[in-house]
Amino acid sequence: MQTDNHSPPAGRDVGGMVMAVVFILVAAVSLWDTTTMADADSYVFPRAIAIAMIAFSIALIVWNLVRPSPDDGSPVEGASTPRRVGLVAAMLIATALMPYVGFVISGLAVFAAIMGFAMYDPWTRFRVIVYPLVGAGIVVGFYAIFAELLLVPLPTGLLFD
Amino acid sequence: MPGIEYLLDALTPINVLLALGGVIAGTIIGSLPGLTATMAVAVLVPITFTMPPASALILMGAIYTGAIYGGAYAAILLNTPGTPSAIATTFDGFPMAKRGDGDLAVTLACLASVIGGLVGAAFLLMLAPPLADVALAFGPVEYFWLAVFGLTLISALSEGNLLKGLIGACFGLLLACVGVAEISADIRFTFGSQTLLGGIETVSALIGLYCIPVLIDLVATPDKHLKVTHQPRGFRFLESVAISWKHKLNLLRSSVVGTLVGILPGAGGSIAGLVAYSEARRSSKRSEHFGKGEPEGIQATESANNATVGGGFIPTLVLGIPGTPPDAVILGALLIQGVRTGPNLFTSEGSIVFTFIYGLFLATILMLPVGLIIGRYAYKTIITVPKAMLVPTVGFMTMIGTYAIRNSISDVVIMITLGVVGWVLNRFGYSPSPIVLGLILGSIAEQGFVQAWTIGAATEDLVGMFFGRPISLAIIALILLSLFYPLIRSRWLGGTRRKVRAD
Repeated sequence: MQTDNHSPPAGRDVGGMVMAVVFILVAAVSLWDTTTMADADSYVFPRAIAIAMIAFSIALIVWNLVRPSPDDGSPVEGASTPRRVGLVAAMLIATALMPYVGFVISGLAVFAAIMGFAMYDPWTRFRVIVYPLVGAGIVVGFYAIFAELLLVPLPTGLLFD
Repeated sequence: MPGIEYLLDALTPINVLLALGGVIAGTIIGSLPGLTATMAVAVLVPITFTMPPASALILMGAIYTGAIYGGAYAAILLNTPGTPSAIATTFDGFPMAKRGDGDLAVTLACLASVIGGLVGAAFLLMLAPPLADVALAFGPVEYFWLAVFGLTLISALSEGNLLKGLIGACFGLLLACVGVAEISADIRFTFGSQTLLGGIETVSALIGLYCIPVLIDLVATPDKHLKVTHQPRGFRFLESVAISWKHKLNLLRSSVVGTLVGILPGAGGSIAGLVAYSEARRSSKRSEHFGKGEPEGIQATESANNATVGGGFIPTLVLGIPGTPPDAVILGALLIQGVRTGPNLFTSEGSIVFTFIYGLFLATILMLPVGLIIGRYAYKTIITVPKAMLVPTVGFMTMIGTYAIRNSISDVVIMITLGVVGWVLNRFGYSPSPIVLGLILGSIAEQGFVQAWTIGAATEDLVGMFFGRPISLAIIALILLSLFYPLIRSRWLGGTRRKVRAD
């Protein structure tokens, strides 16, 4: 699997400054959106916050340019990006499929997918049999608790309607 | 103090069983991310309809107090607050668990919760009617300043970079504005998306911002989730008692803060925990260790959030105004039972109210053995379950828990998206805690600000509205103290050291 390669901390917190620019853009879009609001009660607060966010972001950028400081992020050495992307993609795809295939099937699918991404030990015969069985028990068990006991209307899916 | 006959009524076998069952059910439900104390009480309310009112109240109070404590497990072991009240528990609980002290953190949380619960119940028993007046003294502007006071915690959560903390808080405050505005009903920041129309639900945002980044990092490396020491260390109860005794003032102060915040309608356990954490950090000799696994941080949050249970019942029973969201559900159940809350309740229905209060004491005391045993089991489970089972189980629980809050798939999508955003921001040094703080306090701050502004403008006294009321001034003083205390203290300590060296 592909791994992250991080250079040693730079003299400037470039990542922090890039994110500050992103925040300025977010605040600018928010400010633009407030122009569509008719009532002052609706726009006074978000407008004040967006302006403050722009001011703090500019201050961060200027501060970093004047007094360089190292990146204070939290990179993890030797971490697998494909597994990370796989986890998020599996969760999003399962959520998108939920109305169509129902909660149980999408739950089983996402459980199996994440199990695959999180598995670093060899798949022995025991693990191949026991892990999926326990996983299915967890999914069905939680479904039963939420749907039957707590009466949460979990999606049953178009297939089962 | 009310008579012993009510205590004996509370100690009937059926009431003891209800208190025990309620605490167990509440603790388990509260420990699951997405299932809040409100939901725990709401789901189990129908089974109380056929009970006598005092027994029904004891069961609901036990569920409530158990659920508030149960939120600490996921906060400590998974960095995900099981209930919003446990947000600040993650700040020091997870770092403690990471370094191999998860068992100690769980026991400390249990002890603090019991002490906080007892203090809250004691206030309810002895000072309910006069304290209920405090709730009436709080107007919109006081709520606004209270929210600002909560925001001053950003300086504690920014891990060395205040500007990034402030930007994160602004981002959280903007996120809180998404959806339909509470006061004017304008649609804000949805950009035509149906998904965003319902706004960003706080609990799903919490799960996303705290839990998804942990899962993303867990799946990326073969390292163990928590550091494990292989010697059996039991509950570490005596060690926890010693730490709690050492920081008894912190526990007491946080419990009183929790009770007082609980009295304020709508404030709730999350704000109580944050305010108590902020005060504990400000007054601690080890303030620089907060956020890195400091037991005092866990004690402050957990004692405060459990104290809100007793505190919240004060306006609920005396004024008929629910102090916290679960109190609103309990109030509804009481009305169905035919119990009319109000200033005369303590005299007209004394047998119900005082039996319930003693029952709350009983449930809180029962929480000690129940909490320790369930906590021990939760800790052992988390450290022994293989990663290939832990990550999908937690991932699946985040999805079903988030969905269950509002029966909304949009909330699940928002939760995952915010999780990715939180992970990316964390990589660049933007901690998720200020964002969460902004998100939680945003609606309270905005509502208080806009209402106070409208009243001030109508009475042509804006300055007096914001800066002329005694409670507001007291909170403003606390805000200033909270912001500048580290500076004053370092100056003072620096001056003392220079003096010592000169001597």
